[in-house]
Amino acid sequence: MSTKDSELSEQYNKIFIEQAPTAIAMLDKDMRYIAVSQRWITDYKMEDKEIIGRSHYELFPEIGEDWKANHQKCLKGAIDICEEAPFKRADGTIQWIYWDVRPWYVSEGKIGGLLMHTGDITPQKEREKERARMIQILDKTNEVARIGTWEVNLSTNEVYWSKMVCEIHEVPENYRPQLETAINFYKEGESRETIQRVVNEAMLTGQPYDVEVELVTAKGTSLWTRAIGSGEFEDGKCVGLFGIFQDINEGKLAEQALSNANAELKAIFNSKSVAIITTNEKGIINHFNHGAEYLLGYSTSEIIGTQIPSLFAKMEEVERFRQDLSQKYGKDPLKGLAENNEFDVREWTYIKKDGSKITVQVTISAIKDTHGEITGSLTVASDITAIKNAEIELLRKNQVLNFAERLSMIGNWQWNTITNEVTWSSNLYKIFNVDIETRLTYDTYFSFVHPEDKEMVTNHVQYSLEEKKFPDLLHRIKLRNGTVKNIQLLAEIMTNDAGEVIELVGTCQDVTEQRLEEIKFRGLLESAPDAMVIVNEAGKINMINKQAEKLFGYSAKELKGKSVEILIPEAYSAKHPGHRAGFFANPKTRHMGEGRELFAINKKGKLIPIQISLSPLKTKEGVLVSAAIRDITSQKIAEGKILKAKEELEVFAKKLVAQNTKLADFTQITSHNLRAPVSNLNSLLGFYKLAQSEEEREDLFQKFESVIDHLTLTLNTLVEALNIRKNNNEDRLEEIEFNSVMVKTQEILAGEIMGTGAVIKSDFSKLPYIAYNKIYLESIFLNLVGNALKYRSADRVPEIYVSSGIENGKKFLKVTDNGQGINLKRHGHKLFGLNKVFHRHPDARGIGLFMTKTQIEAHGGSISAESEVNVGTTFNINFN
Amino acid sequence: MSSSLNVCIVDDDDIYQFTMVKTMKALNLTDKIMVFSDGEEALDFMLDNLHNDKELPDVIFLDIDMPIMDGFQFMEEYVKIKPKLGKKITIYMVSSSVDPVDIDRAKKISEITDYIVKPITHDQLTSIIQELDSNGSL
Repeated sequence: MSTKDSELSEQYNKIFIEQAPTAIAMLDKDMRYIAVSQRWITDYKMEDKEIIGRSHYELFPEIGEDWKANHQKCLKGAIDICEEAPFKRADGTIQWIYWDVRPWYVSEGKIGGLLMHTGDITPQKEREKERARMIQILDKTNEVARIGTWEVNLSTNEVYWSKMVCEIHEVPENYRPQLETAINFYKEGESRETIQRVVNEAMLTGQPYDVEVELVTAKGTSLWTRAIGSGEFEDGKCVGLFGIFQDINEGKLAEQALSNANAELKAIFNSKSVAIITTNEKGIINHFNHGAEYLLGYSTSEIIGTQIPSLFAKMEEVERFRQDLSQKYGKDPLKGLAENNEFDVREWTYIKKDGSKITVQVTISAIKDTHGEITGSLTVASDITAIKNAEIELLRKNQVLNFAERLSMIGNWQWNTITNEVTWSSNLYKIFNVDIETRLTYDTYFSFVHPEDKEMVTNHVQYSLEEKKFPDLLHRIKLRNGTVKNIQLLAEIMTNDAGEVIELVGTCQDVTEQRLEEIKFRGLLESAPDAMVIVNEAGKINMINKQAEKLFGYSAKELKGKSVEILIPEAYSAKHPGHRAGFFANPKTRHMGEGRELFAINKKGKLIPIQISLSPLKTKEGVLVSAAIRDITSQKIAEGKILKAKEELEVFAKKLVAQNTKLADFTQITSHNLRAPVSNLNSLLGFYKLAQSEEEREDLFQKFESVIDHLTLTLNTLVEALNIRKNNNEDRLEEIEFNSVMVKTQEILAGEIMGTGAVIKSDFSKLPYIAYNKIYLESIFLNLVGNALKYRSADRVPEIYVSSGIENGKKFLKVTDNGQGINLKRHGHKLFGLNKVFHRHPDARGIGLFMTKTQIEAHGGSISAESEVNVGTTFNINFN
Repeated sequence: MSSSLNVCIVDDDDIYQFTMVKTMKALNLTDKIMVFSDGEEALDFMLDNLHNDKELPDVIFLDIDMPIMDGFQFMEEYVKIKPKLGKKITIYMVSSSVDPVDIDRAKKISEITDYIVKPITHDQLTSIIQELDSNGSL
């Protein structure tokens, strides 16, 4: 074959292919299109595409590697035929195709490319699938309806049972019975005879059959089945039987159930709980069941033949019933009910034979015969007195609740958090001054919350939903008319099994008035000058004022609900609950801890001296105690100051007294010791002027001398005493040994000691030395020992004992004698005075003890005396 | 004219005793003058002469500041014996003390007629004696 020939034949082929009625494509060895049929283009939806010369794979990118491998095999001479295969297109659709791919030859043994012949069988495929689905549905239906098919081949006597038939017979699926055995499954007697007869007839005459017969399964269960069958004839001869088979046992059972229901109905008709009364078309009672007897107290014999309902119904109710139904149907009530196939249900009050009333629920309907003619009426009544009473009770309780709510300004509410539906009790509408028809949601409520409280309320609700508990909430609401109220909300949070909040149920109380009272009370509390703490019987703090906040350093919020013992120092707090119980047992106003110093402890742990007065406070919540607490720190400080000042004053007063005493001494001295000689001088001077003789003048002059001497002595003594007092500085202190002073004194007084034979003893072992002014100490010794000798007793040898020591931290010196003694009761007050003498002793001048006292006092010491007349005297010197 | 009054001076100051006696004699007020150096001496005399109206003084010039028993101590004892005395005795307290404490104390004692500050003048002395003398003569 020449090249030209072959080209020509290729050309023909192309034309043939292009015009072929089926989808054919011619491709070269590189799988590029040479020619395609029109059908190819429509099958693969390539109308608007350039195909010739392009690669098959470029046009069908969805072609997989397996197909490509097949094409390569074909290009080597293989033929690939497939009757159907799904071809998943790039756009996701499934195309069912068949194909025939084979090579075409340029010359003997030389392959020029591939010829592809395909068909789109998608529609056929879908129909096939549809059919399969229908069969499946049918099977399912059969299954549900328990319908199976069967066939009998009379030539072989073989029986075919479908799966369901096997199941109904309770035999395995592959069970293959004989005609004989199949018939034997039917129940002996009527059922088996029936099936035998109809099957024979069908075989003989071709008469189809449809019978309901009872079957006994392989497992012995007996059930009702429906057998339908017909014969198959060939040349007038029956060659087989076929038909369907249905398990109808359930239907049968239902029928039985119906008759059971009938029996039950009869039981109801005769029961005590339901009264059934029927009348004939004239309204004469012809049936009065047991229940009616029981309900109304009449016996059947009393009632039958009477006119309904004169005996036991209230006429006004009968009238209302007739009116209602006449209005509804525009005709006689019974007719209306009958024609509309309706019945009337309402509550009636029936009067029993004994006259008592009962509430009954009554259903009245018409009784019709098969032609629709009214033959009577049927009244079914049941006693709902108990239900009615409960209902009335409920209504009454609800009313009481409403009253209570109104009185206490409480309303209750429910908030379904899932649907956001809110229900309010009627009083709540009043509290919020909202029309009772208003549809409620959470936002309805929230819109009333006072603008300043909105944030607080939002936070509170959020907290409650998160924590699943709702602490009491007090806030203000602002009504549409501008009124502001205080309300208190209490609520319980309901959760579902998963613990999610589903509902809030609670109360809402208008506490505006209480709040006003509280504000008033709080005002009083705040205006109190003292810190106020209000405590309940359990010792929990209820309320405190600003002063208390200041005093204790806690905020009111911190203390509210805390035990009051938090404010009491540990040393007292243990005993406090006992005291508190005592107060509540006999609550009356009193001071706390009378006579004791009380302390409170503040937040920083500092003790504060306080004064507390307690008062009982009778409130709705029971008796509270209000404690007025006063910080007495400043008082305490002032008290301390006063005490100190007092002590200082006492010291000062002592000094003053001491100085006054000294001053008094001087007054005494100037009054007596100075004025007396001066007045004497004056008197003498007067006589001197009047003196007539020289002798008289001489005498007077001697007296002048005496007075002047006395005056001089007094003045000298005074000057000395003043010097001593002035020089009370401690410059001249030196350590002096008592014993050396004693020795010196004895030397000075040696003449008198020897003359009187006095015995002088001394003991300075306990205090041998003292820091003192030496001259003074020597003077003191000389005066005291000298006095002891001077005022010795005439009846006794003088004994003098001098000792020193320390008693109570004070240094002392003692001089004891056995002399005349002094009547201290009489002279004690002037013992140490100037010029005071107590003895009619010629040398007594009243200077010694005055000087001694002055010297001792100059050094801050003191001197005192003990004495008994005619026994002796002891002088005690306290050196400070 | 000399009265018949018994005058008693109780004072430890011998110069005073001297000037008083001398003055009364010079003024010719009385002849009967008794002198004691302290209260105790005077009291002892009165106890000895409780019912001897002739010897008991009509008037006593009593000093305060004396040894043994001073003027006030004497007055305490005098108040005790006064109911037993059959004679009314007028007492003047005479002292050089101008101390108000002394004056007040003296004035509180109802038995003391007056407090006289030393030196007692001639006129004072004369009028006292004359007044007493005239009262007594009534």
